[in-house]
Amino acid sequence: MLFWQLIDEEAHLLGFRFFRQRLTGWHLSFLLLVTFSGEVATASMRDRLAGFDRFLATFDPGGRYLTRPIERLVPGLTLNGTYTFASDALLSSHDNVGFRDRDYRWLQFQSLFELEANYQVNSNIQITGIFHALYDPVYALQGSDGLYAPKENERLRGYEDSKDIARELYVSLRTLKFDLVLGKQQIAWGKMDGRFIDAINPMDGRESVQLESSDYERRRIPLWMANLTYYVGSVSLNFLWIPGFEPDEHATYGSPWYSPLYSPADSVARHNPTLLQGNVTADGYTVDRRSKPNWNDFAEHQLAFRVDVPFGAWTAGLIYFYAWDKNPSDSITGRFTENGVNYLSLERRHRRLHHFGFTADYAGTLSSVPIVGTLPVVLRVEALLSKGVPFADLDEYTAALEGADVDGLRETDTIKGAIAFEFAFPHNTTFIFQPSLYYTKDWKSTLGSGFGGAVGDAWALAPVIFIKRPFRFTRDRLAIGLTLTPYLSQPTRNSQGMKTKVKVSYEFSQYLRGKIVYTNYSGGDGNDLFGGYRRYDNIGIGFIYEF
Amino acid sequence: MSSKNLERRIVPIFLCLLIGASVNAAEVTWKSANEISQEALERADLKGPGPRDATGYLPEKKYPFTSPLNAEEIGYRLMNFNHVASWAHMLADCYGSVTKEGYLTEGITLGMIDNVGSEGGPEARIYGSPGDVFQRWNYYYTYPPKSEGEQQVWHLRRTGRDEPTKLDFFVYSPSLRRVRRQPPPRRDAQFPNSVQTFDDIVGLEAWEFEWTLIGSDILYSTVRFPSNRPMLTLARAGGRFYEQEASKIRMMGDDYPHYRKDDGIDTFVVTAVPRGDWLPKYRIGRVVYWVDQHYFFPLRIETYDREGELLAIQVRMGERQNPNLPDGHGYTNPHSAYWDVRLDLVTYSAHDSMALAEWTKEEKETLFNPDFMRRRWNRNNAKSQVLIRDPKKFHLRPEILEGRFPTYRSINLSPEVLARVNAQNAAGRLVFAGEKLE
Repeated sequence: MLFWQLIDEEAHLLGFRFFRQRLTGWHLSFLLLVTFSGEVATASMRDRLAGFDRFLATFDPGGRYLTRPIERLVPGLTLNGTYTFASDALLSSHDNVGFRDRDYRWLQFQSLFELEANYQVNSNIQITGIFHALYDPVYALQGSDGLYAPKENERLRGYEDSKDIARELYVSLRTLKFDLVLGKQQIAWGKMDGRFIDAINPMDGRESVQLESSDYERRRIPLWMANLTYYVGSVSLNFLWIPGFEPDEHATYGSPWYSPLYSPADSVARHNPTLLQGNVTADGYTVDRRSKPNWNDFAEHQLAFRVDVPFGAWTAGLIYFYAWDKNPSDSITGRFTENGVNYLSLERRHRRLHHFGFTADYAGTLSSVPIVGTLPVVLRVEALLSKGVPFADLDEYTAALEGADVDGLRETDTIKGAIAFEFAFPHNTTFIFQPSLYYTKDWKSTLGSGFGGAVGDAWALAPVIFIKRPFRFTRDRLAIGLTLTPYLSQPTRNSQGMKTKVKVSYEFSQYLRGKIVYTNYSGGDGNDLFGGYRRYDNIGIGFIYEF
Repeated sequence: MSSKNLERRIVPIFLCLLIGASVNAAEVTWKSANEISQEALERADLKGPGPRDATGYLPEKKYPFTSPLNAEEIGYRLMNFNHVASWAHMLADCYGSVTKEGYLTEGITLGMIDNVGSEGGPEARIYGSPGDVFQRWNYYYTYPPKSEGEQQVWHLRRTGRDEPTKLDFFVYSPSLRRVRRQPPPRRDAQFPNSVQTFDDIVGLEAWEFEWTLIGSDILYSTVRFPSNRPMLTLARAGGRFYEQEASKIRMMGDDYPHYRKDDGIDTFVVTAVPRGDWLPKYRIGRVVYWVDQHYFFPLRIETYDREGELLAIQVRMGERQNPNLPDGHGYTNPHSAYWDVRLDLVTYSAHDSMALAEWTKEEKETLFNPDFMRRRWNRNNAKSQVLIRDPKKFHLRPEILEGRFPTYRSINLSPEVLARVNAQNAAGRLVFAGEKLE
């Protein structure tokens, strides 16, 4: 009865008064059959999915056929393999942005295979090797004119150099009182999300503003060094002697994330090998001399020191790093005239920096918080003062073009620091509020960029908000995270835009995880940090298999 | 109605009642508080709690108390039998969960445990000053591959009214290469993809609850291994492996002297209800413990929500792992299983390769310092082969023990869950959603 009433109502609503008359027993039988078979099909599909889920949960061919058999053959050896696939695609249509010939959609389509091998020689000595193989076909797949960076830098497409492939190689000698780690390695100092006192290793910043803290592990560039830690009670003293030096890597001409603000246009740049090789600047100034710190000269090595002390609910650390600026700066060495136009000759080299850092964290539980009752909270603080940071000074460049004897650089101090509040809310929900501050002493509008300072302003504040929640109905396999990174600066630019990232991740098994990431750049002007990338909104799909 | 008809009606009813009563008598193992035997009451006291000491909330009588123990004192004795044993030791802590669909996750973490302020037992936790650290753990994860190299240092703190922090929690993540202090987990919240809560791991503070002895019961099984997993490979201290028939693992180990003739264990059943002045927003409304009548070791723990509905059941097997401690204080739980009855999620934990430890002063200073994790040095070479690796060989859901202590236990399983429980009991192993048995 009810069924017919519904049909009547439906028919009336649709205006098909003949509907009921036409709905014969045959039709009804057909409908019931479809409904029934639909339910059966849904149930069947659900059962098959459950079966597939069970299969996938224990599917680990890499572990079963590669790492575990080798580990059984070689006692003392442990192997870990990781395959990471990461892709990002632009959401806006093909068009040129600023100086960039943006005739491509894919920003990356990258496969990275990592093999980590640890061999325990005895209870105190261990040998570690971490090897990478990377290939990113974005440069080949899209037939793009705007993506030509591998012409001068093949490592953006794939690793061929042993420097990239043998990523880390070190021997660890350990006793209770001290640790000595010798070899090529990466050090991550600090406790915060983002890089504050994490200043030891350079970074491969090919993704520019898209680079995330979660990428640092595979994007830090390892260095040859001696890493000694000595323990005095609960106090640890860490000393680094770093003969090896590598500069930061950045997005370059012809790579997907090269800034649209940098001239010349790709149509010009891609045919200019001297520009691509860095022998001439976009303004036509020649780089006559280039140098890097010398491995063979002890005076040119880097040294670093760190002390960590726990006291009560606090742990705190101090660092000093006698470093090189990882980005070279150009000093003016001369002037020449060509076709009646004045140009400058430059020397590109790295400058010494002194970094003084501080880190601390504290944990506590707030009680009697409305709704949630108790609320666990962690406070982290970190700051880095860098002395003698070189900035290019446009005023001096102008004066030099007019004949003044200046080197075009101004040295000043910068501070970058952050304070983070992390809360553990119900349902395993994490909430982090982390305001980060960047400050350049004696800043003026003609200064370029320098280590630790704000972008294009005297100071900047980035109050980062992060929230992540797993969903219990999926047994916490599904999680959604949101990161908001507004960038506010003074005294000239105000808001430089905001980066918004939404990440949905799913654990297919404890070996295989997938994610979809949407990244949005909004606000600010075209020459601002995030404003310059407003047409770079993108969505990425990635997965990682660990065995 | 003729007498013949009356006879026809009454006799079957009488026979049914007689049969029902006799069957019931054979099955009823539990007694309410006022039915507890005199012999059992020599060990448990229905009165209490007694007078307070100078703190105003701790009992005046001192741990470990003398028989007979009242319900609150049993609650304090339970503080000795947390998930992690209360003495210095090393272990391979293996764990896993399986969903109702059969999605299996497992892990191994190698633990080093240090007691602060006592050789073993909960005295430092009970009588320490609020804020004092009473135990320190260092865990190094070796499985699954995504967790390999992750480390955690836990500093467990004595809580107080103004010191709610129960844990200083430090994590080393290989992907971050940093030691970070993390907010401690919420006490009543389950860990991701697990039935265990933080309080399941570290245990409850007895003074935060009101304790009641509600009766006695006999248990015949706790952790149940499936019929298709007849053998386990376990490891002794030092890493030597041995084969163990699952059916021969007894609830309190082979040397427990108080088994009944029928191999059951006599238990007291006590409830713990959170005190509003200590835990005003606690998600759990009642905890029901089955504790053995001689050592007060908890063999079964049920948690109920604030509306009184069953949330989860934990069952444990005990074993004397520390012979140096007297009177059953050296018992701990090598095997435990947890069941979230709403999600129908089952979790297990196996403490394998357990070895007593005597940390030197240098080791105490170093191994449990959070900064130690930066060295990525696994100092515990314990091994384990106890991972299940096949969802069909997972532990069975615990028995429901329906009908026992109905005043305190409201159990309303969904029809789907109940169907899977019945299928499991018939098959002798877990039966998953959508799975067709051959």
